Amino acid sequence: MAYRVLIVDDSPAMRSFVHRVICLSGFELSDCFEASNGQEALDLLGREWVDVILTDINMPGMDGEEFLRRLTKEEMLRSIPVVVVSTDATLKRIRRMMDLGARGYLTKPFLPESLRAELERTLGVPCA
Amino acid sequence: MEQVLEKMFFIRTLGDPPDASSPAGPEMRARLSFEGDPSGSLTLRISSKAAHSIAADFLGEEEYAITDQQVGEVICELANMICGSVLSRVESESTFRLASPSILPSTESAAVSPDAAVHAIEIGGGALSVTVDTERAACSAATARGF
Repeated sequence: MAYRVLIVDDSPAMRSFVHRVICLSGFELSDCFEASNGQEALDLLGREWVDVILTDINMPGMDGEEFLRRLTKEEMLRSIPVVVVSTDATLKRIRRMMDLGARGYLTKPFLPESLRAELERTLGVPCA
Repeated sequence: MEQVLEKMFFIRTLGDPPDASSPAGPEMRARLSFEGDPSGSLTLRISSKAAHSIAADFLGEEEYAITDQQVGEVICELANMICGSVLSRVESESTFRLASPSILPSTESAAVSPDAAVHAIEIGGGALSVTVDTERAACSAATARGF
């Protein structure tokens, strides 16, 4: 099965890097969407369905925390698994995001293979 | 800092640069501020040559195909990652909030406070230095350990 992924990060460089890493890792990707903040992501999700969301936390406009809160309030969107990708490696932040509904958390810097592993773990894809 | 460079940017650091104060030749500077306990800012300085090389590797493109804007975006992300990595090691009651980094114009002053923590390394193509300036001098030791 190939998956539709949404990458939410205010850094165009980071979005490009994550997209490239996903493609190169062998993860089965059918479509990749990008948004620069939570509001843009919500607007996109009003038009497109995705299988998993990768989101940063610190973003101008709507940040990752507010984005997660809004997602869990929407009946059509709350089932989409979210992986947080952030520089914040503190336990406090990790716990907060998981309490808000995130299913995975990846701290930057990360090895490319870690991104694929976290995506597959979150989606319940059997290990190869 | 070395962990960020090696894991995400695939760069091996080469130890301390000959001149630890600042990169030689044309350089780029990125700065971001952070709020928390304490608040402060991080400034990254890197030689333009090294910046272009890093950007090309990060984006998976040839150096000649990279625009100045793309180089700026990558260096801003590098500053963001280093800052987050450092702050994650600071013992604090509050959660830090990082502002979006920006590239500083060359005309802007490069002065730093005497209490700022500075770390410089040599990488292929030039030198890179990071300065963390916080409100409270007491944090400098923690941020220095974080490097």
